[in-house]
Amino acid sequence: MQRYSIVSIARNALTGHRNWQRAWRSPEPKPSYDAVIIGGGGHGLGTAYYLAKEHGLTNIAVLEKGWLGGGNTGRNTTIIRSNYLYDESAALYDHAVKLWEGLSQELNYNTMYSPRGVMMLAHNVHDVQVFKRHIYANRLNGVDNEWLTPEQAKAYCPPLDIRRDARYPVMGAALQRRGGTARHDAVAWGYARGADALGVDIIQNCEVTGIRRDGDKVIGVETMRGYIQAPKVGVVAAGNTTVVMDMAGVRMPLESYPLQALVSEPVKPVFPCVVMSNTVHAYISQSDKGELVIGAGTDQFTSYSQRGGFHIIEHTLEAILELFPVFSRMRMLRQWGGIVDVTPDRSPILAKTPVRGLYVNCGWGTGGFKATPGSAHTFAHTIARDEPHPINAPFTLERFRTGRLIDEAAAAAVAH
Amino acid sequence: MSTDVDIAVIGAGPAGMTAASTAAEAGLSCVLLDEQAEPGGQIYRAIERLAARGERFAEILGEDYARGAAIAQRFRQSGAVCQAGVQVFDLDADGVLGLIADEGARWIRARRVIVAAGAQERPVPVPGWTLPGVMSLGSAQTLLKSAAMVSDVPTVIAGSGPLLYLAATQLIEAGARIEAVLDTMPRERYLAAAAGLPRALMAGGELRKGLAWKRRLKNSGVRYLSNADAIAIAGEGRVTGLRARVGHRDMDFACSLVLLHEGVVPNVQLAMVAGARHDHDGLQACWRPVLDPFGRTTVANILVAGDAGGIGGAELAAAEGELAACAAAYDLGCIGEREFERRTRVPQALVRRKKPLRRFLDTLFRPRDEVLVPPGDDTIVCRCEEVTAGELRRIAALGCTGPNQSKAFSRAGMGPCQGRMCALTISHLLAAAHDRDPAHTGHLRLRPPVKPVTVGQMAGAPDDA
Repeated sequence: MQRYSIVSIARNALTGHRNWQRAWRSPEPKPSYDAVIIGGGGHGLGTAYYLAKEHGLTNIAVLEKGWLGGGNTGRNTTIIRSNYLYDESAALYDHAVKLWEGLSQELNYNTMYSPRGVMMLAHNVHDVQVFKRHIYANRLNGVDNEWLTPEQAKAYCPPLDIRRDARYPVMGAALQRRGGTARHDAVAWGYARGADALGVDIIQNCEVTGIRRDGDKVIGVETMRGYIQAPKVGVVAAGNTTVVMDMAGVRMPLESYPLQALVSEPVKPVFPCVVMSNTVHAYISQSDKGELVIGAGTDQFTSYSQRGGFHIIEHTLEAILELFPVFSRMRMLRQWGGIVDVTPDRSPILAKTPVRGLYVNCGWGTGGFKATPGSAHTFAHTIARDEPHPINAPFTLERFRTGRLIDEAAAAAVAH
Repeated sequence: MSTDVDIAVIGAGPAGMTAASTAAEAGLSCVLLDEQAEPGGQIYRAIERLAARGERFAEILGEDYARGAAIAQRFRQSGAVCQAGVQVFDLDADGVLGLIADEGARWIRARRVIVAAGAQERPVPVPGWTLPGVMSLGSAQTLLKSAAMVSDVPTVIAGSGPLLYLAATQLIEAGARIEAVLDTMPRERYLAAAAGLPRALMAGGELRKGLAWKRRLKNSGVRYLSNADAIAIAGEGRVTGLRARVGHRDMDFACSLVLLHEGVVPNVQLAMVAGARHDHDGLQACWRPVLDPFGRTTVANILVAGDAGGIGGAELAAAEGELAACAAAYDLGCIGEREFERRTRVPQALVRRKKPLRRFLDTLFRPRDEVLVPPGDDTIVCRCEEVTAGELRRIAALGCTGPNQSKAFSRAGMGPCQGRMCALTISHLLAAAHDRDPAHTGHLRLRPPVKPVTVGQMAGAPDDA
C-alpha cells in the first residue's frame, strides 16, 4: 500500500498527481474464502479490516451489491457521540469513540473526525432531569458529558436562540465535547483501502442472492457472480438485513423505517458544533463543505422507500427555525432517506445466530454511523473467535426471547 | 390530508392549459399551477399581453405565437383555477404536491396530477460555456417575449434545431446585433434524415414553415454559416469572442454575447421525483417518461402531457393535454367510454399524423457527440460544483459505474441546480467512458425539493396541510 504523507503528496504534486496508486483492487471473486462479509458499508468494511489486521484472517471477501458506502454510510448525518444511558451501550459506543480518535492515523487515511462537540438541548423539566441523569451515569462510566446553562449553551453555539418565551425554550444542554462528526465516505474508503492492503478481496456490484446451509451450518453464498464457498458469513446489510437473513431462513426482530435528512446550499462557517434536540427530533450541523446538514426523525410507518414523508421534514424545520431564526432564508437543496433497521429495544444486534458460522450485525436504528469502528472491531472478534467480545456480548439475538433488553428507547424517551 | 382537487395540472403551456380546460369543461375541479406570473409557458410566454403590445411586436413573434391566444382564452373561460407564480417543489405517487406560494410551503392533494412541465434547453457544455456573457438562445427569446428586450451588444448565435432558425429570425427582426449565426448541424444529416422525408412532408405544413424561417434568416443579411463545429468560447472573466471550425477552416468571431442552443429535452424532474419510470430515448438522447398513448405514467395517479413526455412541439402538446385530461376524466368516472372515445378521436389522429415529422426532425437535429460528451478534459460539466469532463472521466476509469456513485467522488450534480444543467451530460459521459448505453448507466437520482426551498418557507407551512 502506498502510504499517504506530506512527502507522498509533494512527490505526486511534481508529477501532476497522475501516478497515485488505486486505493483498492477490483478482484474477481474466488470460488471460496475463509469468511465472507455481506455489505460494503463502513461496518462491513471495518469488520473485514479488523478480521485481517487483528485476527490474521486475510482470505476473506466483502460482497457489495452496489458500490462502497452507497447505502446508509453515505446517507447519514455523520454524528458521533457516546453519551448513552446504559452501561452496555456506553461501553460499546465509547469503544467506538476511542477508535474514532485514532482512526485517521490507524488507517493512514483522513476520516476527518472532528470532535467539535455534540450538544443536546433540554426544552422542559423532564428533559433537564433525564439529561442530568444521563450525565451522572456517563461520568460513572468514564464517558465525558457535562451540563450547560442556557447562557453557556449560547456561548458554545452562538446562533442558538435562548429566549425564555420561545416555543421550545432552551432550559440547558448536555454537552459531550468528544462528540462530533466525520466524513462518511472516507470511513468506508479508509477501511476498504486498509483491508485491501491486508489482502481482503472487496467485490462491488456483486449482489448476494442466497445463503446456502448444510443443516444448521452455513456453507456459502450465492451471488450474481456465482457461488462462493465460505464457512463463515457475516451479514452487515443495515436496512436490508431482514431480506438477507431470510435467505438463511433466520427471522429477525427488526422493522425497517425511512429516516430522512436534508442539506442546504453551502455557506461560510456559522455553526461550530452539532446540536440535537430529542424533543423536536432534529439534528443540525455544518459540513466541511459549508452545507447545513439537518436530520429528522423516522417515519411512523415501515417502508423500504429511500425517501420519507415531507411532513416530518416540515416539523423538523419548524423547530429548527424556532431554535435558529438566523437560518430562515437558507435554501434547502436536497432531501433523501435511508432505510434504518430498528429493534424492539432500539439497541443493535451484534451476535452469533442459530445457524453455525452465520453472524449478524444490525439493528443500529438511526445511530449506526457513530458506532462504525466499535461495531466493526467487536464484530470481527465475534466472527474470528466464534464468541463475542466482552463489549458486544450483551447485544445478542436471544435477548428478545429472554427479556434482557438494553432499552435505550425508553432511556432516550424518544423513538430513536 | 383531504383531497383538495380532482385534477392538478403543472405547467401552463399549451399542454397544461389545454388539459386544464378539458378537465374543467368535463366538470372536474381543476387547478393549474405555474411558476411564471402569467399563463403561456415558454412557447406562449406573456401571450395574454400580446394584443396590448402593438402590431410590430406580433409581427416579429409570428402567427404561431399568436395561436396561443386562443388556447389561453379557452383556458380562462373553462372554469379551471389558475395559480400563477407558484413553485411546485415536490410530487409523490399519491398525488400530493408540495408548492411554494406567497412565501410559504403548502401541500395539496389531487386525485390525478397531469405534469405538463414542458421542455428545457439541452445543456451545451462547450469550452467557456460558463463565462458571463453566455446564455441559451431560449432565454434570449424569453426576454423578447416577456419584456420586449433584446441585447444590443455584438452577439453570435451557435447551435442547431428548429428553434435556432425561428428565434434567430425573431431576434434579428427585433433589432439585436447578431454578428453571425453558426448552424452546427452536420451536412450528412440531410442524407440520414432523407428516408423519412416523404412521410414528414405529409404530416402538415411544419416542414414548409421551418424552411421559410431558414429562408428568412438567410435573407436577413446576417452572416449565416452552416456545418459549424468545435465551438469554443473565449474570454477572461467574460466573453470576448468565439472560435469555431466552419467546413475545414477555423474562424474567430469577436462578440460579447453568445447564445447557444442544441435543441430541447423533456423536463423530467417532477415525474422522476414521483417515481415514474423513465427510459432513455436514443434518438433524442434524453430521458423521457414511459407513457401509454394517453399520457398515463407507470405511477397510477400521474400523467404527463406535452414536451415533458417527449419533445413534440406546441400543436402536439395541446393534443396530448387534451388526451391526458380525457384519460384522467375517464379514470375518475367523470366521462363514460363512448364520450372518452368521441373526445379523443381528433387529438389521437393529430398525434398519429405528427409522428413521422418528429422522427424526421429528431434524425436531422440529433445532437452531435461533442454536445453530449465534451471531448476536452477541461470543459466544465457541472457548473455548480465546477466538475470538469476530465475529472468525470478519471472517476469513470476508477470503476465508477453511474451518476449516483460519481456524486460521492466529485459532487457533480449536487449544487443548487440539482443536476438540471448536468445530469444528461454526466450520464452520457459515463456511458461513453464505459462504452455502454446511457440507459444502462442511469440518471442522477432526483431528490425533492426539485428547486431550492428556504427553511422559512418550509417551516411556514400551515399545520393542517
